[in-house]
Amino acid sequence: MFEPMTDVVPSFFAWLNQGPLTLTIFLHTVIILPMFWIYKQEKTRLEKES
Amino acid sequence: MAKTSVWSDNRFWQRSAGWITGFAAVLLIWLTFDTAGQIAMGTDEDLKNGVTKRVPGPTVINYKITYEMSDKRGHEVPYIGGNDGKGGSLFQEKQKFFGRDDYSEEEAAALLHLGKLGSQTKNCMNCHTLLGNGAYYAPDLTKAWLDPAWQDDGTMQAMTGKSTKEEAMAEFLQHPSTYPTHARMMPDLGITAEEAKGLVAFLKHMSSIDTNGFPRNFGKIRGAVNGK
Repeated sequence: MFEPMTDVVPSFFAWLNQGPLTLTIFLHTVIILPMFWIYKQEKTRLEKES
Repeated sequence: MAKTSVWSDNRFWQRSAGWITGFAAVLLIWLTFDTAGQIAMGTDEDLKNGVTKRVPGPTVINYKITYEMSDKRGHEVPYIGGNDGKGGSLFQEKQKFFGRDDYSEEEAAALLHLGKLGSQTKNCMNCHTLLGNGAYYAPDLTKAWLDPAWQDDGTMQAMTGKSTKEEAMAEFLQHPSTYPTHARMMPDLGITAEEAKGLVAFLKHMSSIDTNGFPRNFGKIRGAVNGK
C-alpha cells in the first residue's frame, strides 16, 4: 500500500508522488475534512438564523 | 425549526472554494521553491565529496557516466564514476573527454554554456527532444551520450572513423548529412568544431542528470546491455 521513499532527493513532494493512494489520502485530508467542518459550522449558523 | 439546506447555501460553497483555492496556492508556491532547490546545479565540490545531486556540476564531463537499472527505484539511473552497489554513484572512475579528464569548473561551465547556446541557435528541439521538451521527429537526446550506438563497440565510431565517443559525436555533428544514420537524415547545420565540442559536452552533462528514468526503457533497445 505504501511504497518506500526511492526518489534521489527525499522531499514532501516526492512522497506525495509515490503512488495514487498517497495523493488521494493527502487531498482528502486537506480538502474534504475541512469541508465537513465548514459544513457543520454553516449548518449551525443556518439553524440559529431560522 | 425549519429544515435547513447547507448544500444550497452560498456561504458553504464560498468558504469551501476559498479554502481549496488558498491551500492550492500555498502548495504551488511551496512546490515552486522545492523544485528550484532540487534542480539547482551541483558543484565540483559535490562531485569530489560524493554528494548526489539531481543535476550534477559541469565537471561531471571528467567522469565516466553509465546508465544502469536500479532495483530500488524501478528504473534506470545515471551513475557517475561507477556504481557503489548500493544504488549510488562512486564518483571515482574518470573518462577522458577530448583527451582530458581535468577540466576545471570554469572550463567545463564555459563548454556547457557554448553547447547550450549552440543547441538553441541550431534549434535542436525542432526535431529532437531534450529533457522532455521538443519534438520526436529525430531521436531523443536526453540520454544520447549513453546510446549504445556511440559506444566503443557501436556503429558510429566505425562510421565516422573516430576512436572515441566524443570525437565521433563531434564529427557527426559537423557533417551529419555525410553519414547515413536514420531514414530521416539530419541536415548540415554549419556547426563548427568548437561548437560541436560544446554540444557534446552539453549532451554528456545532460545524460548525467537524474530524470527519474525518463525516457522510459532507454538502453533496453535490442543489442544494448544495461545501457552500456
